[in-house]
Amino acid sequence: MTRLTVNDRPVEFAMDPRTPLLWALRDGANLTGTKYGCGVGDCGACTVMVDGAALRACLITLAECEGRFVVTIEGLSHDRSHPVQQAMVAEQAIQCGFCTPGIVMSAAALLAHNASPSEAEIKAAIPNLCRCGVYPRLLGAVQRAAAVTRREDTISAAPAPGIAPEDAARAVPALKP
Amino acid sequence: MAVTRRGILVGALAGGGLALGYMLRPRRYPLPLAPGEGEYAFDAWIKIGSDGVVTVAVPQVEMGQGITTLIPQVVAHELGADWRQVAVEPAPVSGLYANLALAAKWAPLWMPLAPSLADQPEDLLTRRWAQDRRFNVTADGTELAAYEGPARAAAASARAMLMQAAAARWKVSWEECEAGDGFVTHEGKRLPFGSLAEEAAAFSPPSPPPLRAEAMAERPGEFPPGAPLRYPRLDLPAKVDGSWTFAGDVRLPGMVHAAIAHAPIGLNTSISGLDEAAVKGMRGYRGIVRGMTNGGAWVAAVATDGWTAQAALTRMAPRFKVAAGADSDLVDAAMDEALHTVDAATIHTQGDRESLRGGLPLQLRYEVAPAIHAAIETAAAAAHFSEGRLELWVGTQAPEAAREAAARAIGLQTRDVVLYPMAIGGSFDRRLENEPAAQAAVIAKAIGKPVQLTWSRREEFRAGLPRAPVAAVMGARVDAEGAIAGWRARIAVPATAREFGRRLLDGDAPFDALAAVAGKADAMAVEGAVPPYDIPNLVVDHVPAKIGLPTARMRGNAHAWTAFFNESFVDELAHKASREPLSYRMAMLGKETRLAECLQRVAVLAQWGGGGDASGQGIACHVMGEGRIAVVASARRDENGVRVDRLSAVADIGRIVNYDIARQQIEGGLVFGLGLALGCAVRYEGGRPDSDSLGAMGLPKLADCPAIEVEFIDSKAQPADPGELGVAAVAPAVANALYSATGLRLRRLPFFGEDL
Repeated sequence: MTRLTVNDRPVEFAMDPRTPLLWALRDGANLTGTKYGCGVGDCGACTVMVDGAALRACLITLAECEGRFVVTIEGLSHDRSHPVQQAMVAEQAIQCGFCTPGIVMSAAALLAHNASPSEAEIKAAIPNLCRCGVYPRLLGAVQRAAAVTRREDTISAAPAPGIAPEDAARAVPALKP
Repeated sequence: MAVTRRGILVGALAGGGLALGYMLRPRRYPLPLAPGEGEYAFDAWIKIGSDGVVTVAVPQVEMGQGITTLIPQVVAHELGADWRQVAVEPAPVSGLYANLALAAKWAPLWMPLAPSLADQPEDLLTRRWAQDRRFNVTADGTELAAYEGPARAAAASARAMLMQAAAARWKVSWEECEAGDGFVTHEGKRLPFGSLAEEAAAFSPPSPPPLRAEAMAERPGEFPPGAPLRYPRLDLPAKVDGSWTFAGDVRLPGMVHAAIAHAPIGLNTSISGLDEAAVKGMRGYRGIVRGMTNGGAWVAAVATDGWTAQAALTRMAPRFKVAAGADSDLVDAAMDEALHTVDAATIHTQGDRESLRGGLPLQLRYEVAPAIHAAIETAAAAAHFSEGRLELWVGTQAPEAAREAAARAIGLQTRDVVLYPMAIGGSFDRRLENEPAAQAAVIAKAIGKPVQLTWSRREEFRAGLPRAPVAAVMGARVDAEGAIAGWRARIAVPATAREFGRRLLDGDAPFDALAAVAGKADAMAVEGAVPPYDIPNLVVDHVPAKIGLPTARMRGNAHAWTAFFNESFVDELAHKASREPLSYRMAMLGKETRLAECLQRVAVLAQWGGGGDASGQGIACHVMGEGRIAVVASARRDENGVRVDRLSAVADIGRIVNYDIARQQIEGGLVFGLGLALGCAVRYEGGRPDSDSLGAMGLPKLADCPAIEVEFIDSKAQPADPGELGVAAVAPAVANALYSATGLRLRRLPFFGEDL
């Protein structure tokens, strides 16, 4: 049994401790937002935060995560309010969306300790592969997220999930509860 | 043309009257939408709830291209809805959503003997064929051409019905009402769609549907940098919090996970051995399934989680036998032989063909290596077999073919396979093939539990088919001023489009398809080879090469190589004539003014300096259907290989439905084309690729990505698809830029493939 904290909840995994964190999250905890793309650290689609650092979940075992704090895309915010999430949607720096969770986690880990990253720092912090080609928008999106992190900008591009019909109707006259 | 067509049709009726007569009889289909409580369906496209939510059915798969937004946007505009009240759902497989535009475009694949009978979407034969086959394949940039019209008509009808319902309440004439922002209005009165939906559903829509005067259009000038989006993509909020699910994310009660190992790509494969004892007592291990689908042998290990399944498979170390595995040395030899000896099929000719026989004053050879798709999502499918029915969760561009493949694999009727369309993680045409659907069906039936099959990256390399290798000898004759008097393209490539057609439409296994089309001419395999230039004498020949390696479609398809050949060659001709490459092209574009405008605009955008004096700038352009693009690349070679600093592109795609999605598609196409120019190549030995890691593919990352700027021509012409346009013109623009930078002419894709 391996015990760790996943998205602020204590979890005990009844899995082989040699299981890479990626499969523990996806198949054990049903947290499928973390994606499998290669299993060997090439693509970054499985990037999560472990004790605040962006790590590729395919490269660390459950045993190595014992007692640590893991944050996945599902736990980054409960309402898509993280600046990186908002900026990615606002800049439409997403196409198929498969590499997106990994990119968001890489960028969020960067901004957590550096709210004014340079272009070079952003490029170094996001080694993730994206085949749809959202790169041209990525620098701008992370810079905008950084500005939000520094409280210099606000974005409301991605609405929170599960808005109550009454609240929706207040904002959109064509809807009624 | 019309007379011939009728003549052949009548003849066909006389010969095989029953089949064709049956085929041409009108059909009725049950309404595919299942409205929930308080929801009312309007045609096959729209549901309106009494709460005001307008749900649009989308019969094309989302793989990043934005179709989940485009069709709802067309509906919202035509209906007069508030964008915030619009929801979306994938449409079930049904003949009602037949992709007629693609069926017509692909007529050579399903009616190879007389494609001209069915090469127009309005042809009755095309309609019947596509509807009977439930042919709603997502491919070849046909989404808007196929579906904008029907979706718009459905929305116009629904709007009229809502107006009729409101007019009846107000006792006024419905034609005096208006619809906008989700309300029907009349002289200060207004009623929301939601409260009219139930009554509206009982009215009959006028025929023809009363379309709005203007189709949905976003003009480039309306969107300066930083301008707000009018129709933000509907799929992005779910994609940014992990809740957007792909096939590999499906979780069912009692589900087990499967890992798979495939035989090499080759003839007569079988399993020669594996060590089952090695997994005895392994925790979580649930069993092994030996399979043979699509002519290929495989072994799957099943366990309670994907990692244990993979670990079990590795321990069992399955071994395979193959009679003749695909081999790149043999491929190279076959391409050489084709180019030198085999008779060619002339695909296009104009002017004096005789003047282009034999050796020409300038002849240059260009080559393209087999390349892999390298989508980040690997193949995956979830399946549940119970009481003679199969439920299938899969991301596929060809859903009916997936149902058929799964049904065939476990001896079911196609009607007993229920397919839930899932989104795809960047297919690039890889998911036109349906191996995982058949495999998941076999495993689910054998294990007796719902199963999740996910291919490892290694298997994606090993069992995914590459795009075709191509070799071309481009020849030209120039006049005293250096202008092109004659042009001949002799292109050796397997009949890759027809081969794919056999797999998709006839259910052929890869090597059966290869045999069926061996040596056959394939115009689609050299699409785009006719240059846009005004050249008096011109010949395009296809040499169908037999290479013993099955090949697949890939984003850009033939245009990705024909644009490379044409635009590299024309650049070489310009330099040989000591002419500036842009004006050299412009002089030949008197009849292609739209492309000429793209070139002029991109020259301004990129501050084109003529491409000389080691500037490192290169220019290229291409026409794909009704779409046009011109690209300027700035590139150099440094110690790390090729460095592309900037790509500037101007595209003319006619009327633009969603400006930012169009821009995304061009940007993404440029990056994808850059990946193909710099990497993605594989070689085969014994049916195995020489690489199995993305890291070895030279794929661009954020740090390598050039600065990219994209502009569009403001146009009211018919919409053209931007998805593949960007891919085509990158490689030649970069090759031309590198020639300018280094004096070295690169005639092989990928560039410096030997160095990688």
